Amino acid sequence: MFNPLDHKGIPLDQQIRNWRELNVEPIDPEAVDPYTRCRIITMNGIEAEAIMFSHQFARVCPDADVKRHLAYTRFVESQQQRVVNWLLPGLASVLETTLGYEQVAVDLTAWVARHEPDPYLRQAYEFGVLEDFDHLYRYANLYEMVERRKAEKIVDGVTEVMPGRPTVAEFRHPFDNVNDPYDKDAVDPRSKLHALTILSAEQQVMLYYMNTGPQYMEPIARQLYQEISLIEQEHVTHYESLVDPGETWWERLVTHEYNECWLYWSFMEQESDPRIKAVWELHLQMELAQLQHAADLLRVHDGREPEQIVGDTGLPEPLKFEPNKEYLRHLLATQIDLTKLGAGYVREAHERFEQMQERIHGGEKPPSEVVIDAHREVFGDEYRLETEGPHPVESLRATEGPRHA
Amino acid sequence: MPDRRTADTALPTGTDVDVVDLLLTQHARIEEQFLLVIGASGQARQRAFDDLVRLLAVHETAEEEVVHPLSRTIADGADGIVDDRLQEERQAKEMLTALIDADVDSDGFETSLLLLRNAVLTHARHEERYEFPQLRAKVPADRLRGLADVVRAAEAAAPTRPHPGAESATANLVAGPVLAAADRARDLVREAARRIES
Repeated sequence: MFNPLDHKGIPLDQQIRNWRELNVEPIDPEAVDPYTRCRIITMNGIEAEAIMFSHQFARVCPDADVKRHLAYTRFVESQQQRVVNWLLPGLASVLETTLGYEQVAVDLTAWVARHEPDPYLRQAYEFGVLEDFDHLYRYANLYEMVERRKAEKIVDGVTEVMPGRPTVAEFRHPFDNVNDPYDKDAVDPRSKLHALTILSAEQQVMLYYMNTGPQYMEPIARQLYQEISLIEQEHVTHYESLVDPGETWWERLVTHEYNECWLYWSFMEQESDPRIKAVWELHLQMELAQLQHAADLLRVHDGREPEQIVGDTGLPEPLKFEPNKEYLRHLLATQIDLTKLGAGYVREAHERFEQMQERIHGGEKPPSEVVIDAHREVFGDEYRLETEGPHPVESLRATEGPRHA
Repeated sequence: MPDRRTADTALPTGTDVDVVDLLLTQHARIEEQFLLVIGASGQARQRAFDDLVRLLAVHETAEEEVVHPLSRTIADGADGIVDDRLQEERQAKEMLTALIDADVDSDGFETSLLLLRNAVLTHARHEERYEFPQLRAKVPADRLRGLADVVRAAEAAAPTRPHPGAESATANLVAGPVLAAADRARDLVREAARRIES
């Protein structure tokens, strides 16, 4: 397998780009491969985490030389983020990009769950993915209400749209969102990459919703963004608590850079659009040099080799955006009624869960339920895209029959 | 996805439906219809394209006669925004007129169609972002609901060919045979507008 530690990449001092190089042509929203949009959204989240991680590191770093190096790399990473996110077209609305974000959350998390070697970590992804799956369905109904378009325009039939674990039931006491961390010295290096990837994606979703939600004028849109953005914050807690808090800053820097190499390399292997593939390839070459420098910092400050952190066998198999319909249907059929109790998973609505539910809902239907009722009122049914047959959970089947199948 | 020729975006129903709802639905149908034209060939493509022409003509007539004049009245600086939209509509119509005379299976057709699609969808997004929110914020809701009837009248009249140079409500109209249908739609729209307003 490709081992990024064996490559030098583009020298760091040649990585700053000018305006012409930053002025990228966006994708055509009417003709794009939906998974190209998903790869862009994913890498935006990864680069956003790289920037924020570096800022946090700089704030606790007493070494002025290291701070200057972090500032330099952070500027380069900021340019990478701007290039990646500016591939999204101005023609797309906030809600269309939102549907892309949820498609990412569904198919990225499902892939990671399928490939996660550790059963406890895998359970965390299986649990979370059913919640994002439900968000896609809620936003799809909002989309048809507010913009009169159908979500299949965005998800293009590769991801189904139907209820997951109902958003109303996703509000848990914050104590119950805190998981047990993996052991950094015993865990498979793939698990470190999985956790960092998913927490970065969810963090970006949270930031996007909490900032763009109030741009809507329609009360139901504002309310739905408020509600789902709070679930995304739960998810950041859920996933970040999987990471071993004993990892040093140097170690975490290496993991970040190594993960960026893995993802750019994965997407370069898979990309259908040659113009976008060239961006992934360029950014991979940049990340290789950033990784080398992070490895040097680790050697100097921690006295360790990067192979002790990420292994010596090279990158794991490439992460792929691909349909996960059958897998998701299996999870829906078997895990829809799970909730959390402490760091574990249970089926009963325990006391702390019930208290939180009472407190936050105040005896009323939340926006995620109201949006479906409102859609039924306007269109006579709800929006779904069930390409593989009726919903696997009988109580969640559409009452009106399939308009969109 | 079943084979179909005509966009089937659901039409909103109920007493709360206003003119913006209907225009949004038309935008969605136009988007869909472009995809149907691109995906078809031969006779089927010709029929899908004819439907697209009809959709665009109905839609632009409604906007020129009802929406843009209303926008001019509600905000400082609205004239500039409306002028930009009219300019976009004029360019789109010129592109469309050229396409009407082309063979739908020729190489140039698809390229021109994609250019037209870009122009039309960009125009639609501009309206959705800068014009429609102002209407919803500043025009009384019952008036917007009443204007929905005017748009329905335009849909019923359904002209079959667009004609450049007629994008202003006060333009001097010269009705040739090709333009007759569009003009009939415009008359009906004006009549309906007077009825609603009075």
